[in-house]
Amino acid sequence: MQEQPTARRPGELVFTLILLVGSLFLLWQAYGISGFAGLSSAGAFPMAMSAIMAVSLVVILATVLRRPAPAAVLERLRKDILPATVVVFCGLILVYSLALDWLGFIPSSFLFLLASITFLQGGRFKRALGLSLLSIICVYVVFRLVFQVVLPEGLIPERAIIAWIQSFFAAGN
Amino acid sequence: MLKTLVGAFALSMAASFAMANDFPKQDLQGVIQWGAGGSTDLVMRSVAPHVEKELGRSIVMTNKTGGVGVIATQFVSTQPADGYTLLMSAENPQLYKVMGLSNLDYSNFYPVNVLARGVPIIVANKDAPFNTFKELVDYVQKNPGKVRMGSTGPGGLPSVVGAMLSSKLDFKVTAVPFDGDGPALTAMQGGAVEFMPAVLGAAVEHVKAGRIKVLAIFDKQASPVLPDARPITADYPQFESLLPWGPFFGVFVKSETPDDVKAKLVAAFKKGANNEAFQKLLSDRGYVSMNMSGDEANSFLKKWQSTTSWIVYDAGMGKKSPEEFGIPKP
Amino acid sequence: MEALTYLFSSWIQPDLLFLTALGAFAGIYIGAIPGLSVTMAVSILISFTFSWEVNPALALMNGIFMGGVYGGSRTAILLNIPGAPAAIATSLDGYPMAKKGEAGQAIGLSTVMSFIGGLVGIVVLALAAPAISEFAIKFQPRDYMLIAVMGILLVGALSGESLAKGVFAGAFGILLGTVGLDPMTAEQRFTFGSVSLMNGISSIALMIGMFGVSEALLQLHHLNAQAVKQKIDRIVPLWGDIKRHLSLTLQSSGIGVIIGALPGTGGDIAALMAYDHAKRITKNPDVPFGEGAKEGLIAPESANNAAVGGAYIPMLTLGIPGDAVTAVIIGALFIHGLNPGPLLLLEKPDMFWFTVGNLVLADIFMLIFGLTGIRIFTKIIECPKAVLFPLILLLSVVGAYSINNSVADVWWMLGFGVFGYFMKLYGYQVAPVILGIILSRLMDDNWRRAIISERESLPDFVLGILTSPLSATLLGIIVFVLFTQTRWWKRRFGAAPTSLDAVKSN
Repeated sequence: MQEQPTARRPGELVFTLILLVGSLFLLWQAYGISGFAGLSSAGAFPMAMSAIMAVSLVVILATVLRRPAPAAVLERLRKDILPATVVVFCGLILVYSLALDWLGFIPSSFLFLLASITFLQGGRFKRALGLSLLSIICVYVVFRLVFQVVLPEGLIPERAIIAWIQSFFAAGN
Repeated sequence: MLKTLVGAFALSMAASFAMANDFPKQDLQGVIQWGAGGSTDLVMRSVAPHVEKELGRSIVMTNKTGGVGVIATQFVSTQPADGYTLLMSAENPQLYKVMGLSNLDYSNFYPVNVLARGVPIIVANKDAPFNTFKELVDYVQKNPGKVRMGSTGPGGLPSVVGAMLSSKLDFKVTAVPFDGDGPALTAMQGGAVEFMPAVLGAAVEHVKAGRIKVLAIFDKQASPVLPDARPITADYPQFESLLPWGPFFGVFVKSETPDDVKAKLVAAFKKGANNEAFQKLLSDRGYVSMNMSGDEANSFLKKWQSTTSWIVYDAGMGKKSPEEFGIPKP
Repeated sequence: MEALTYLFSSWIQPDLLFLTALGAFAGIYIGAIPGLSVTMAVSILISFTFSWEVNPALALMNGIFMGGVYGGSRTAILLNIPGAPAAIATSLDGYPMAKKGEAGQAIGLSTVMSFIGGLVGIVVLALAAPAISEFAIKFQPRDYMLIAVMGILLVGALSGESLAKGVFAGAFGILLGTVGLDPMTAEQRFTFGSVSLMNGISSIALMIGMFGVSEALLQLHHLNAQAVKQKIDRIVPLWGDIKRHLSLTLQSSGIGVIIGALPGTGGDIAALMAYDHAKRITKNPDVPFGEGAKEGLIAPESANNAAVGGAYIPMLTLGIPGDAVTAVIIGALFIHGLNPGPLLLLEKPDMFWFTVGNLVLADIFMLIFGLTGIRIFTKIIECPKAVLFPLILLLSVVGAYSINNSVADVWWMLGFGVFGYFMKLYGYQVAPVILGIILSRLMDDNWRRAIISERESLPDFVLGILTSPLSATLLGIIVFVLFTQTRWWKRRFGAAPTSLDAVKSN
């Protein structure tokens, strides 16, 4: 862990530069909060922190630049930094997080689990289907019913269904 | 069997969407503006069980904190106006416009019940060199800016009371903001500040134990919980016009909610809030029970907003003038 | 004599016994699931136990509190997702142990240490509560600021391959902690006009993303590698092992009680500071810190459970909450018709002794339930990754959502998960970011309070620190710690470990 790598990691230079630009942007934003109004102003602390970020990144950048550039960048980038599995999985997560709000928790989570388990284990759709159903039910019972966390409802009128089930049981008694 | 099931299901679904008179057809959601353990949370969680009995459905409570309550207020305003989502909140939304936080306030909502209001008192560290409010004023005038007052940030109770004090008296102090009146009272006992305005309920136990001393009650009359504390108007009648003033707790729905639903909720909350155990809890903590709704509550809210907005704005804490929003000068 | 009856009343009444056990059991799982917090569980219980007597309600809450603080270590060790902020430091060495197939041993050790820490906390509560609470409320804003600075020094220990990267990560964390509506001036910081950002970025969402999601993404690189077989023959730690580390356990528990008793700090900060302390005083760990050192597990686990007893100290003696959970319990006492405040101890001493006895009981149940079922738990990480990772993701999403019922928190969690993935790949550690966001408000707010109190005068501020014995001591500790990090000190006094390192790396 401790020893410094000899060559730059693929993409490291770009990552450091992005962070540096980001820090400078945050520094500028922090200045915008209250300028140099005083030691107790709301912006004083954020300004100090973003300045520290920027300075430490300059130090990091200097070390990164001193090391030789990596060989075969594109190929190693694809293998070490962004393998296909990670990219596809991230894509699934992105779609999931966007669908969560309008589709609702249950359908979007179910589809996410189904798709990602099927993808990661390379097929075996039935097993994925069973596992997804089981885990959704467990999560729903623990969070929604026991801990009363109102998960995003989306398209399914959950409260109406729960009320209907309750009245169904009430009528049965 | 399956057919009847599906049929019954479809029917009940249709019914619940059709806003039938037999509200509520399903559980309600109560969105609490402040965090677990705070006074708003406490009041709401203790009134809810009584109201649930009246409604015959449970109220699922969620704390949606943040942005002085803006987040919860905004959330409820985007939910359907069917009476199933209740905003359980405190006085803060009436100041959102002046503080430049949001364009919402209680005029966008219908007051189902304004449950209670708190009475501010002015308390001091037990070793502070003043024992009455009069002595405090003298001391502050002799040492302008040197006395430290515990506060909770702009728009909070201490800042508003502080602004009221300096609007009527020559009263220059250094306000040190804390995370809430609980932490500020603790800091005052440790000597981090000399005095602070606080809501009676939060301070009463510490006063009774002699750990802090009470200088005045910021109200027109003494409180049965602390009968020895002098009302501020006894020495400074100029505060009469601003009083009674205090933080309050209420339950709201969107103003477009159908009238029959509103009526059902109002009735349930009125009865629930009248429950003996709840009333005892309020009076023990020094809250003044209000239990009002509809027009009566609206005029209370309007008056509160007008007094407070202008005080806050004149003290330089507001970002926008109340005039912009047509809030009349008191 | 009467105190004794109250002390053991929950031990002999079957219903109280059962409720305490139930609470401890439920607490472990509430603590283990990220997003479900003890604060949340206790506030739901307020409505639920509304019509009960006060003692059964308290028994249930005490059990949940004790179990919940411990439970966070489960997921921290197994999945690298701390179930609660108090378990962050546990994941630093606990997860590496699990990766080596020692998950069972790690859980066993953390259970026993949590038990001992919990016990120490309760003993201090019983014997010295009034004195400690008087001491705790003496802490001024500047002292809280100094404590935060002590905490942030841990960045040095967590930096990994380069100090500059650690400093960047720490500063970034602190900056993230300032996002939102500033509570002191109501000014908006980094909100870019968005309402959902006014609330700030939830530290728990960030923690789930940066620890859990980024680790899951990283593991996808070796999707088909066989899961490490977990050794489960030795779960209960050897007595010799416990005895050897007893001194560290007691010191960490001491840190836990004090930090827990301070009204402005809780178990999360206690655990991080204990970790830092362990790392400094342990000269020759068998395994280096960060790679599965037992000391790195012992210190935070004993500290965070000791903080439970600590949190009750100001609550029971002064009616001042020691942390978020005790704040809710105070509310519950109100609803049950009690008036928690400085008079409670005089008017109802039975409450105090009941709580002390009941906490001990809760601690024992936590030990029992903690040591059972470990085998099943360790099976979780042996299940195929293709199933495990989507489930981790699902749990992270639900967890992030439940903190504040907000979809925005889910987005932040996922966004920082991906960002953390890149950080880890490029040799940045994510732990300093979490450390920063946890300490941010403590540092920023108290710095400003302190300087406002001195009317913006820096000389007065420095004078204040130097003339107060408490602040001066805290400052002295900080200076000492910084000094021991210098090369001169290490060469002079730290010769042994460096030569050992040299041997190892050859």
